[in-house]
Amino acid sequence: MEVWRVNLREQSLQREAVPEGWSRLGGRGLSARILLDEVPATCEPLGRHNKLVLAPGLLVGHMLTSCDRISFGAKSPMTRGIKEANAGGSTGLHMTNMGMKALILEDQCPADGNARSGWWILHLSLAGARFEPADDVVGLGVHETAPRLLKRYGEKVAIALIGPAGEMQLCAAGIQNLDKDRVPSRIAARGGLGAVMGSKRLKAVIFDDAGGKKPPIANREAFKAAQKVFTNNTLDHPQTKTYQEYGTPAMVRTCNAFGGLPTRNFSSGQFEGAETISGEHMRDLLLKRGGESETTHACMAGCVIQCSNTYGGEDGKAIVSPLEYETIGLLGSNLGIADLDTVARLNWEISDLGLDTIDMGAALGVAAEAGLMQFGDGERALQLLAEIRKGTPLGRILGHGAAMAGRVLGVLRVPVVKGQAMSAYEPRAIKGTGTTYVTSPQGADHTAGNTVRAKVDHLDAKANIATSRGAQINMAGFDTLGACIFAGFGFMVKPEVIPDLVNARYGWQVGADILQVLGRETLTLEREFNKRAGFTAADDRIPEYMRTEPLPPHNSVFDASESDLDSIFNW
Amino acid sequence: MVNITVTVHLHTTLQRPTPKGPLRRLDITLPMGSTLADLLDRLSLPRRDDSVLLVINGRQADAEQVLHDADEVHLIPALSGGVPT
Repeated sequence: MEVWRVNLREQSLQREAVPEGWSRLGGRGLSARILLDEVPATCEPLGRHNKLVLAPGLLVGHMLTSCDRISFGAKSPMTRGIKEANAGGSTGLHMTNMGMKALILEDQCPADGNARSGWWILHLSLAGARFEPADDVVGLGVHETAPRLLKRYGEKVAIALIGPAGEMQLCAAGIQNLDKDRVPSRIAARGGLGAVMGSKRLKAVIFDDAGGKKPPIANREAFKAAQKVFTNNTLDHPQTKTYQEYGTPAMVRTCNAFGGLPTRNFSSGQFEGAETISGEHMRDLLLKRGGESETTHACMAGCVIQCSNTYGGEDGKAIVSPLEYETIGLLGSNLGIADLDTVARLNWEISDLGLDTIDMGAALGVAAEAGLMQFGDGERALQLLAEIRKGTPLGRILGHGAAMAGRVLGVLRVPVVKGQAMSAYEPRAIKGTGTTYVTSPQGADHTAGNTVRAKVDHLDAKANIATSRGAQINMAGFDTLGACIFAGFGFMVKPEVIPDLVNARYGWQVGADILQVLGRETLTLEREFNKRAGFTAADDRIPEYMRTEPLPPHNSVFDASESDLDSIFNW
Repeated sequence: MVNITVTVHLHTTLQRPTPKGPLRRLDITLPMGSTLADLLDRLSLPRRDDSVLLVINGRQADAEQVLHDADEVHLIPALSGGVPT
């Protein structure tokens, strides 16, 4: 495996041996290591000194179920700290087939040259790198861009691309990847990595793995044996069926039951319309509607869980794929919208613009509190999204996410930490996830360590410190392996399968605690980057109103002690 | 004997199939002093099953907990992922 380094200004590619210090990391951990080694932590995130890193996880490349995720990393324009966002789809698999341990995109494409628009497409294959003008796709949404690029470069390529929001360098812009059906739905959504790609004047990166091969395996027999155990444990697990049938939207009724479903700009933890946006209702609806609707869908080739879906409208025609819990929470209950068709249409628009549905849902919630729309008014929400497409000042404000919207619109109830919006778990009701929001080097992000599924009293702040710490370590470990969070329950049936797989793949002798070793190392690297960027304990704090304004129905506040928060990573 | 009535919310795979579609919310009347375990018996669900989260009035509960009139009970097939076990 090699590190591929592309200098965008010079339009040159160097293929380098993997430095010793990087060889035992992948995904999120490797991205953190590279950023710490190569990017000045105080740099301007949208300037030429920031780098965009793509790193497949350590286990990517073998069609191991739920383990082909790709990590994107850079200094975030949203949090202004370190950022990693990962996605399923085919990008990671193509990269490893091409022998890429990591791809580092440096500097910025020239604004002049052959591309009239000043925008470029980077094409990578075993023959090397070539740059082509993006003139015919610049300004287009991702749903129109992806088919054009597939037509030009062949149906088999993988693509990482940005939408108009990334081109405008809006802080809520993500980077989309093709799923196994070539839909650009797999977004590394959080923290504005699409804006970083936009700042480099790169509309898309094409990965053509023709002539490539799977990465080497040190001990093929041992890998096969461990893979079989892991696959069977995942397949046999009762939760696989639940995720296949209901997917992440199963969380709507769960969170509502705990009083932790963000409602009307995080002002209540229960939504009277939860039933009609629930996963159970969605499944009934999609089964009735048929057509292109799918209640079960795989985002990565080889996944046996297949938690994704295709949401079809009344005519059975697909409105969006997938429709996930976080989106339903932020664009449904958080906006007072109880109709899944409306949520699906909002989701499609936001995805087409290349934006993060979580930060956009939170921004629209703030906009509603400011009086720019009524809660429950989906048509008005669509109009506000149209402002983003037009690039109006209001649209740009919203496209920068909830923190910017709150500042400009004079709203103090803004559900963000480190400038990034909270996911669909109210921190005053699910305090472990709240603790993760506050302390994660990534800013508010449930994927950094969600505790809603833990058997713990979610209202007991003290008890949830350890739960959050454990979840954050495990998730940083899974993100470094390239494993989906839902691979977790398959792994946990027999945790020794993790070191077995790693040792068989690489010929190493890692111990039983490798997941936690990788997780702690990753978090340590990320915290060091943030420290160098100027972060202090003052950045690890919840918005003030969440400490003082009780949240119905439990009338609870976020009351984790500052000393507990500040010592959470003292291991 | 005085009875209590609790509202039970069945989640995902615990929903009951009916000719009108899946049933996910039902009221159940039990003798006063009944526990969550008694309710699980009534629903023919295993008493000790780590694969189901038991929630009473928004708080996680255990099977021995005594039920009260008008309690809202959620039975949720556990969905793990990422959290330490």
